[in-house]
Amino acid sequence: MSKISAEIIQKIEQLNRDYICALDALDMPTWLACFNKRGQYTFIAEENYRRNLPIAFMLDDCYERLQDRVTQVVDIQSDSTEHYQTRHFTQLTSVTAPEDGGYRAEFNFSVYYTRRDTNQTQLLCVGRYFDLIDISNACASYIDRKVVTDTNVLPRYIAYPV
Amino acid sequence: MANQRNDEPLLIWPKKYNEVPKAVFEMEELWPKELNAIFYGEEWHPIVHHAEIPNPGDYKAAELGEMPIFAVHGEDGEIRVFQNTCTHRGTALITECSGNKKEFECPYHRWLFSPQGELVGCPNSQEFTADFDKKDFSLHQLRSEEFCGLHWVTMSDKTPPLKDYLGESFYEPLGRILGGDGRLKLIGYQKIMYNCNWKAYCDNDGYHAPLLHKAFALLNWQGGKGFQKVTENGHLAFESEIKVPDKVEALKDASVLDFKGTDTSSGSIVLMSFPLTVFSKHMDMLNVRYAFPRGPKGTEVHYAYFTHEDDDDEMIRHRIRQSSNLLGPCGLVSMEDASVFSRIDKGNKTPGNAIFQKGVEDEYKLSFTVKQNDESGNLPRWEHYRKIMGFEREK
Repeated sequence: MSKISAEIIQKIEQLNRDYICALDALDMPTWLACFNKRGQYTFIAEENYRRNLPIAFMLDDCYERLQDRVTQVVDIQSDSTEHYQTRHFTQLTSVTAPEDGGYRAEFNFSVYYTRRDTNQTQLLCVGRYFDLIDISNACASYIDRKVVTDTNVLPRYIAYPV
Repeated sequence: MANQRNDEPLLIWPKKYNEVPKAVFEMEELWPKELNAIFYGEEWHPIVHHAEIPNPGDYKAAELGEMPIFAVHGEDGEIRVFQNTCTHRGTALITECSGNKKEFECPYHRWLFSPQGELVGCPNSQEFTADFDKKDFSLHQLRSEEFCGLHWVTMSDKTPPLKDYLGESFYEPLGRILGGDGRLKLIGYQKIMYNCNWKAYCDNDGYHAPLLHKAFALLNWQGGKGFQKVTENGHLAFESEIKVPDKVEALKDASVLDFKGTDTSSGSIVLMSFPLTVFSKHMDMLNVRYAFPRGPKGTEVHYAYFTHEDDDDEMIRHRIRQSSNLLGPCGLVSMEDASVFSRIDKGNKTPGNAIFQKGVEDEYKLSFTVKQNDESGNLPRWEHYRKIMGFEREK
């Protein structure tokens, strides 16, 4: 395995920071900007992932679907969703050498949410990010971010990407 | 709060048929009675489709009321449903929600059961009681029936045969949701806990659909002609055509909304069997929503999605994309339902009655004639609940 440079790891960490900060700020255009034009996003239960069952909670398998995810959050569901504030916590656990034109990275994540009506904070979900990242240009971007949640039974409906 | 006298009824039901006491969603004392009268009573409950446990030894755990059960595919090809308890000292045999086992062993004293439920081994049995016979210690099997590959259970010997219980107005469209012949393949689950009483979860109606679901209008997705059919024992069937718009301006990739089925007149079917299971075929999504009350508060729902065995790769891919993005707890056209469940729960912590209006012609008479977008289709279900629970109407 070739050694991963500190610069590459820094770019991967920075991309992840941009991603989770965008979600915590509910800044969907910035979330979208984390993906490149080949980008894909999947939010899937660990049970399905382990059993090779393809159904996901969210399945954006092309850039147009990612754009539509933004539309869904911003324009379609905004008046019926009970808004909640998220805080994402992540830990980089693995980076591997380039393949398929990108770097593979894995993060552990946990997401807490605070309801606006009760102002109480609870755990939303815990799991892992499996990333394929393009670092061919100055900036890193996601070719694929697969979110596999160990929380197979979600504690509430999830309105925003994780 | 004053102590309730033993002979005092838990609840008095309103005089008008279109009113439901809000307390019915909130009173925790109702739950033990509901368990006995409904979940352990004369009702059928769907537990598993053959496609979820297609191979010998495959099993799936579930609950009926508060009782742990599991369905297992036997070596003889038969699917049986057992109580999830060792017949010796009661230890739970299954601790995972699904899997495959050649035998089911209790770790406590190593009693061993076959997938057919027979006790095949129990150490030191020569020191058991004189009349001990392994045949008397098979797993406790629940009465079950199958329809289009879907297996249902009931705790009562008095429950009518499944098809009689469901009625033709229900089982005919259910057959179409289950692919016509039940030859389905499982493609996965979405599981969620809804923060509401189980009766709020299944009180969705025909009135709300074009009003709550903003996506319908934004997607230029007009509901076609349709109807509701209700049964005296609380089952409800919605069916409507789907008018797919030529162009959906709001989305960059509208292919997720494609309807690849051949018969748009039955593009949308939603069924709700008493007490709380929903089945749906919206466009090309084949979906069973197993639901499990977690006591009087909280309803856990497992959305199971299927393809048909005859689907080609393109159709499989389409069903996966559509099911993962349109339905379920994060879905484009159904998340609003999820948000309403918790709002119902919150709002019903107030005195008085929930009042149905749309489609109600006579408040003092129960009607089984219901139009497509009426909410009165839920009233036979409430009447069935009231009778089972033994609540008297206000004089």
